[in-house]
Amino acid sequence: MSALLQVENVIHTFGATRAVDDVSFAVQPGELVGLIGPNGAGKSTLFNLIAGVMPPSRGRIVVNGADVTGWKPYEMARAGVARTFQIPKPYRQLSVIENVMISAFLQEPTVVAAHELADVTLTDLGLAPYRDRLAGELTVGLLKRLEVARALAMRPKLVLFDEIMAGLTPTEVGAMTEVVARLPERGITVIWVEHVLYAIMRTATRMVVINRGSVIAEGAPAAVARDPAVVKAYLGEEIQLA
Amino acid sequence: MTVTPAKTSAKTTISGLPQRGRVSWFEIILLAVCAIWVALGLAPTLQDVVVLSFLFGGLALAWNIAGGCAGLISFGHAAFFGIGAYTSTILFQSYNLTPWLGIFVGAVAAALAGAVLSVICARLKGPFFILSSLAFSEVVRIIVLNWSSVTGGAEGLSIPPVPDLANMVLGSKTAYEALMLAYLALAYAITRWLEASRIGFYLFAVRDNDDAAAAAGINPLMVRSLAMAMSAALTGIGGTLFAQYFLYLDPTYVVSPELSFQFALLPAVGGLGTAIGPILGSFLITPLSELLRANLGNAAAGLHLVFYSVGLIIVMLYFPSGIAGAIDKLRQPRSPP
Repeated sequence: MSALLQVENVIHTFGATRAVDDVSFAVQPGELVGLIGPNGAGKSTLFNLIAGVMPPSRGRIVVNGADVTGWKPYEMARAGVARTFQIPKPYRQLSVIENVMISAFLQEPTVVAAHELADVTLTDLGLAPYRDRLAGELTVGLLKRLEVARALAMRPKLVLFDEIMAGLTPTEVGAMTEVVARLPERGITVIWVEHVLYAIMRTATRMVVINRGSVIAEGAPAAVARDPAVVKAYLGEEIQLA
Repeated sequence: MTVTPAKTSAKTTISGLPQRGRVSWFEIILLAVCAIWVALGLAPTLQDVVVLSFLFGGLALAWNIAGGCAGLISFGHAAFFGIGAYTSTILFQSYNLTPWLGIFVGAVAAALAGAVLSVICARLKGPFFILSSLAFSEVVRIIVLNWSSVTGGAEGLSIPPVPDLANMVLGSKTAYEALMLAYLALAYAITRWLEASRIGFYLFAVRDNDDAAAAAGINPLMVRSLAMAMSAALTGIGGTLFAQYFLYLDPTYVVSPELSFQFALLPAVGGLGTAIGPILGSFLITPLSELLRANLGNAAAGLHLVFYSVGLIIVMLYFPSGIAGAIDKLRQPRSPP
């Protein structure tokens, strides 16, 4: 198996609730996988299991052939798995560029090199005008972009995006979609949890749909959107391919 | 750090962390004034105040590494101060080891104690960490008070007042001023270096957001232990210097909560997380408390503490980001949003 990430029969229970119930899927290098599902489907739990926030109750998580089940978040980061936070978690008393530098240190141990990498990353994401602003003073839209910038400055192999479009204006969604779409060609594989479906449906190479803790559909975005199980999970809500 | 010049017009100041990584003339001039102050010499009563201002400036900087930079607000730093002071003094008395070496043994012992504290309190944050640190120093105090065969118990320890440079017992107050200024300069240099280094950034990251730091590949427990160890080591060095100046260790002062509060207070007044703040805090508060004690102590016992407390409340109310923060605001008025 040459999969970058394998999630094997992962179960996670909170008390009597099975938030993630026997989920298995694999992600190949260069893929851009959209992970969707209705509220409470278990997306965030699955996301946190992969990021190492908590160990799964049962099952295995394998990155690049290595069993990383039970690894801590910082160990996952060092293994090349970056993540964003749904509710942004900036270093409030630091400037925007300093926020990104802290991530850049993972690959560039010197201050000068980390500064340079952070600078390039900020420019990529259109954050250059805000580089010296305090992160604590940014609007939600900018904080979401800062989350992405911090993840990308780690030069990860795999990046996990958690609703990076929420709170963005349509123009910003368009710009962010372009950034994300270009990641696979830069050698960054993407797993993307998103509620703004039109953005993810256009960009993803493959979709994984979960509901009630289980995978209910998997495949190309267009096929998944027509899947009766998916349509039903979203309570008949039509998924528009913009 | 200035690889590419900032091109933005919408530049705001970084409150609490001014001009990180850049040399500020204000700070250099302040240190130069201190050096000249020492070189010229002053009236003997004032020299005491100068010695203490320098010593506590260094101690405030030491506390600030944990409390200001890494967000580990500790009310137990007197434990590290005591460990440093007692280690070097016991080694000197019992094994005739010169305090010039004992100071490093004390620093290492304090660093270990600091690392142990942060590992024990790994999961504690905010008020819970503060209380644990306070409890930790109480444990150390009780050990010092009861282990009489080694620490002298409640009677304390004294060092023979025989001036001898080899034993770090200096002949003049001016010499002590220079020694304490060197300590202050060391603590300042370390803080400045930290602010502009990778490890310093990691301290700020852990202070501002644990989860984000871990997601960036930082082991928060490791960083906290390191911050606490560095802070404790520097505090321990201050403890030895204190012992060598007063030549007497009183356990009810050396390992007291009051002393711990003092360490925390000076950076809070001066400006948390900055290099210059703790120094300003000490230069303001130490002379104030010494002079109040000297002038009011006889008239009405305890009255000096009332004045002192009122002053502190005023500072906390009107300058929440400390003196350094207030100066910063004066210099760079906030741009309209």
